[in-house]
Amino acid sequence: MPHSTSAPRLGDLERVVMEHLWEAANVGGPLFDGATVREVHLRFEGEREIAYTTVMTVLDRLAKKDLVTRERDGRAWRYSPADTREALTAQTMLRTLDDMEVTDRRTALLHFLDGATTDELADIKAALAEIEARAEGEQATSARRRTIRRR
Amino acid sequence: MIPFVLAGLAVLLAWVAPGLMARRKGFRRAPRAALVAWQAVSVGGILAALAAAPATIPLLLDGEDPLGRLQLVVPALVASAVIVGRLLYAGHHVGTRLRRVRADHRQLVDIVARHEERVRILQHPTPTAYCIPGRQSRVVLSQGVLDALPEEQLEAVIAHEDAHLRGRHDLLLEFFSVVTEAVPGPLRSPEALGEVRLLVEVLADRAAVRHSGEVATARALLTLAGSREPEAALGVGTTAPVRLRLLADGPPHPALSLLAYSYAALAATLPLVLLAMAWA
Repeated sequence: MPHSTSAPRLGDLERVVMEHLWEAANVGGPLFDGATVREVHLRFEGEREIAYTTVMTVLDRLAKKDLVTRERDGRAWRYSPADTREALTAQTMLRTLDDMEVTDRRTALLHFLDGATTDELADIKAALAEIEARAEGEQATSARRRTIRRR
Repeated sequence: MIPFVLAGLAVLLAWVAPGLMARRKGFRRAPRAALVAWQAVSVGGILAALAAAPATIPLLLDGEDPLGRLQLVVPALVASAVIVGRLLYAGHHVGTRLRRVRADHRQLVDIVARHEERVRILQHPTPTAYCIPGRQSRVVLSQGVLDALPEEQLEAVIAHEDAHLRGRHDLLLEFFSVVTEAVPGPLRSPEALGEVRLLVEVLADRAAVRHSGEVATARALLTLAGSREPEAALGVGTTAPVRLRLLADGPPHPALSLLAYSYAALAATLPLVLLAMAWA
């Protein structure tokens, strides 16, 4: 990882912190009961230089976004991922499909395709056949032209 | 006289023209020119409605019965103010909402997705591809789409999304969302937004064809169309069959673009010409 002297963007750090938490949760299994700011900070050691307070800020932001949950442990907070990475990915996918009001969603995110019914698939296949036939025709013509030129 | 012509023109451009234009499906073959025409008609409609008020002022200046003329001038000014107000309000409302949705989604994607050079990959089996427009734009693909498409077709999909981002198609959609929302419900003509939505897809498909060829683009469309449930609740047709048909039909006659551009120029300038005539 290239070492950067400028302050890394918080969004980027959020991802790295989440990855640390997910990893810790994976390793700890059912025994995992969250990580403190200090423990998360320690994981950065040797990787990149991050201030303790930055880790604190990032975890706080993640908690506000409901991506991590926290519990009091004496004077410190213990942070755990609110969901597994898989669950959060599934949730992200779902959000692109049905979370928002339909008009808004279609303006907010531009999808490659909005799906098709079975009837429509037949039309689509017919159009594709035309395109493929034309492409083959063009190939044949240009091949013929090449042969003619060679003579 | 001219203020009434302007008011009539506003009605024509805002309510009559969109319905007629949506029925001229041939213009979809010239998506860029058609998009310009849609924008010109919307802008022209707004200009005509707004110009009606300043066009009444000369009546006041050289009329023999200035007080009587006020009965015409005041309602026109009020109407203009209402239109401006509604547009500003809708613009603020739609803009804030879209920016928030996109920022939230982008943050989530940045955290859960795998980061690659040009794209973010969501580890999920459902094939999907989309982009998040804005200043920090992203192209997002799912693992499912990587598994479903060979490289050449995947390149077509990415070229399509890049075209949306480079062409700032989101601004077009935002503009038409604002105009639609600014018009009171019963008077709204939903054709414009629907048609513009389709046209930006056709335009992005053209970019994909230039990048990866029409066969790869068409195959990618078919594969993804077959792998996803349509949005039945919308009650409108999906875009896939239309887009494939347009790919098959190939480029239009140049005269078609010329016609659309001339129409656009007329729609956008006519209100200003009328206003100038009122003051002349």
